[in-house]
Amino acid sequence: MAKVYTGRDGVMQLGGTTLAKVVSFSLQANLETLETTTLNENIRSYTPGISGYSGSATLLYYKDDNDDINTTDLLNKLYKTGTTGVSSSDTVELTFRWVDGTDNNDIKLTAYITSASIGASTGDIVRAEISFQGTGALSTVTIS
Amino acid sequence: MPFPTLTPTSRQFEAGDFPVKTYKAQSGAEVRILYGTDRTSMTLSLSFANITDANAQLFVDHYDETKGTFNTFDLPTEAVQGWSGTTATFQTIGDNKWRYASAPSIANVRPGTSTVTVNLIGVL
Repeated sequence: MAKVYTGRDGVMQLGGTTLAKVVSFSLQANLETLETTTLNENIRSYTPGISGYSGSATLLYYKDDNDDINTTDLLNKLYKTGTTGVSSSDTVELTFRWVDGTDNNDIKLTAYITSASIGASTGDIVRAEISFQGTGALSTVTIS
Repeated sequence: MPFPTLTPTSRQFEAGDFPVKTYKAQSGAEVRILYGTDRTSMTLSLSFANITDANAQLFVDHYDETKGTFNTFDLPTEAVQGWSGTTATFQTIGDNKWRYASAPSIANVRPGTSTVTVNLIGVL
């Protein structure tokens, strides 16, 4: 059946578990192009280079009935004690899903959290905003 | 094996000079003697950006065949594509031939894609 997807159909998962209170997410695929224009040509030509994936998400800072906070495993990738910084194991498995009944349209990737911001302002709900950089190939793409 | 028949993505040429010997007296007077009728020692730098590794290999193969900087060779017309002046400018002038001034430089851009730079010098 024909369907227009809306924000209500969007789901973001971390390690296969759906994150609560996701306000928005976006995912971007990038392709670097390498110019191959030669001296006898007037129109630029290109060959494909490296492709990659990045994106961002905004979540409400939310504690559930079990006192678990939805952003913990995302923010802790950057907000951490110690002097070791971020290691190669500090990746997250993110799934972005557009739901149509029992039909899931997924994009799944491994990513590093590259920025994470959280604050508080008078009269406003606390939100955590993250940006991520995908590493390696997408493990699932079922959006066709 | 001739020089690879690829059109470069950039080219830089310096015109060289005639074989001139200059003598300078203590008084400051200068004497110049012309020893030849052909301009020589022109330099040509060709860059082939983002070509396949197979094409990049052709330059190394050609470099091997010319025994590095030892033997001379002619350039194909592809090497001067895009130049609307006299093509002879970049080819043999008089008895000039090209030889490698240095080894071809290959920069790997991504798997299967490389950028090659060759520096040539014209010699009599």
